[in-house]
Amino acid sequence: MVFSFIVIPLLVAAFLPLIGKLSKKLIPDVLTNAALAYLVINAVMLVKPLLARGTILRNINWFGEQVNLTVALDSFSLFMLFTISLVSLCITIFSVDYLEHYGHKAIFYALLLVMIAGMNGLVLIPDLFSIYLFLEVAAVASYALVAFGLGYDELEASFKYLMLSVVASAFALLSITIIFGMTGSLSFQAVAQGLQDLQARYVVGVCVAFFIMGFGLKAALVPFHAWLPDAHPSAPAPISAMLSGLLIKVSGVYALFRIVYSVVGLTPVLTQVLLALGTISMVVAALLALGQKDLKRMLAYSSISQVGYIVVGLALGTPLGLLGGLFHLFNHAVAKGLLFLNSGSVQHITGTRNLEELGGLDKKVPLTAGTNLVGALSIAGVPPLAGFWSKLIIIMALIQAKEFAYALVAILASILTLWYYLLIQRKAFFGPLNEKFKQVKEAPFWMSAACVILALIVILVGVFFTPFVKTWISPAADVLARGIQHVLTWGI
Amino acid sequence: MVIQIILLCGLVIFSGLAILLRDLIKAALSLAVASLFLGLIFFRLGAPYAGVFEISVVAGLITVLFALTIALTKKEDEVQENRLVKVIFPLFFILFLVIDGLVMKSLLTKVPALPSAPEGGSFGLVLWKQRTFDLVAQVGVIFAGVLAVLALFRKTGKDEEKDE
Repeated sequence: MVFSFIVIPLLVAAFLPLIGKLSKKLIPDVLTNAALAYLVINAVMLVKPLLARGTILRNINWFGEQVNLTVALDSFSLFMLFTISLVSLCITIFSVDYLEHYGHKAIFYALLLVMIAGMNGLVLIPDLFSIYLFLEVAAVASYALVAFGLGYDELEASFKYLMLSVVASAFALLSITIIFGMTGSLSFQAVAQGLQDLQARYVVGVCVAFFIMGFGLKAALVPFHAWLPDAHPSAPAPISAMLSGLLIKVSGVYALFRIVYSVVGLTPVLTQVLLALGTISMVVAALLALGQKDLKRMLAYSSISQVGYIVVGLALGTPLGLLGGLFHLFNHAVAKGLLFLNSGSVQHITGTRNLEELGGLDKKVPLTAGTNLVGALSIAGVPPLAGFWSKLIIIMALIQAKEFAYALVAILASILTLWYYLLIQRKAFFGPLNEKFKQVKEAPFWMSAACVILALIVILVGVFFTPFVKTWISPAADVLARGIQHVLTWGI
Repeated sequence: MVIQIILLCGLVIFSGLAILLRDLIKAALSLAVASLFLGLIFFRLGAPYAGVFEISVVAGLITVLFALTIALTKKEDEVQENRLVKVIFPLFFILFLVIDGLVMKSLLTKVPALPSAPEGGSFGLVLWKQRTFDLVAQVGVIFAGVLAVLALFRKTGKDEEKDE
């Protein structure tokens, strides 16, 4: 069951190009959505056994021969797997209609599934070098997906993304190499034990700095964010949603904090560095978002800003901070996925993403306007939507930790967020209808259905946030809070 | 000692060829051979882990991606090479030697390391028994690369119009 998160996407991706020769649309659509629906159900089914056992370790034999195929599933991994599968499923539902004008659905889905397999592998593997390899699996697929439209802008954005991503991987790999040289091992457990025995504070400090540069680039934290506002808007809408909703969180935030909490340990200095980086990202990106005219570019800057909140919550290291950070990670994945898909719908029905040209669309496309409002208000932190609770928890955690200045900045950045989201809503959906768009109709069925599902998740998680937090977020936060001790007791 | 020198010479020669050869496929294959030499050197120095990573990732995986991409590009897409390459490469080589001689040696002795037993095991044993998951990930990377090539070199509507 645990291996299926890696094996099923890879297997389906392997067959899709062949199946695509027989059926260009129906079978690739059904197969991809069925595979992801299975992964969502699988994640839900694993909650009970995981809560009962703490950590599930799986090692499979290769035709009876003992090989090292070990995965470690704890509540943090499961929470990430659930988020990845759920948001990906909605994105592939949206793609059923959206990809009609791109064509070559089978290859698109195959690349998307390889990217998902890469992210799932990264989340499940308790080994530093394998983290790097799965990071590359997801990254290689994402370069091609960003350039999938094959236009000049797409290719340029993909190339820029590739170049900066390679630099990020190089920093992460350099750090892994130094750690391997010192401890002679790569598994989380052995490295954590080795670093504790060595007490090499300064060298470990250098390694952590490299990790922050590498994974900070992947997470697009300011000042490592330059690639994101080009790459995310240029990609097809479902890929923008994947990148902003999931990839920057898995290959940036998850990888960084998994290593910080499970391998090197969180020190007060590291907390302050990450708090500063998170807060700068929050404010700078929110200010940059305000000046954008391109809808998707504004959303891309918003992603950088919201990743800042997640980093601040997780960097605090207090139970409340971890809870808020992880909850905001989920809320942002869902709401930003929704907003990028909505931007795809807007572009599909009007042919433009320029906010200056849009206007009054709520009269013609009420479903898109309504779901967009739900996503925007959630990220801006308006009650009772999901994003409100996570931001509230992060700000409460900052106050509890006596980080009053950071708490104040987080509140002010939240107001900025509300400002630019209301700008989107006002310029694109409210006001007088632009003459050009008198004939526009609501987006096709599957595109609207995906947005409605995501909007419902945002509302339901906001209203029933207590059971959701108890089932998914609290156990994941507990794993992080126990940190290195937790890894050392895995006994792999 | 003689084998070690042969391996080192092979590494330098094929690394140089990888940069200087004008045929891209030959350059990519030279890089793979250079990586193979480096992997063998790692093995002889008692670091089978590093050897396995080098041979499987660099010599194997990356070469497949290079070869695939080069095979799919057309002749007329050939990019004019900048003449600075011929100056920059030797400059970097000298700079690398200086840094290696002056900095790395003293720096490496200051990095603490746990005393560990020498690593053992053949290439197959390390790759298959200890780093099995890396194989899965490498299959994933190759697969992603192949799909990327299929996606980026596909015929679009415009190409089909041109063909007609």
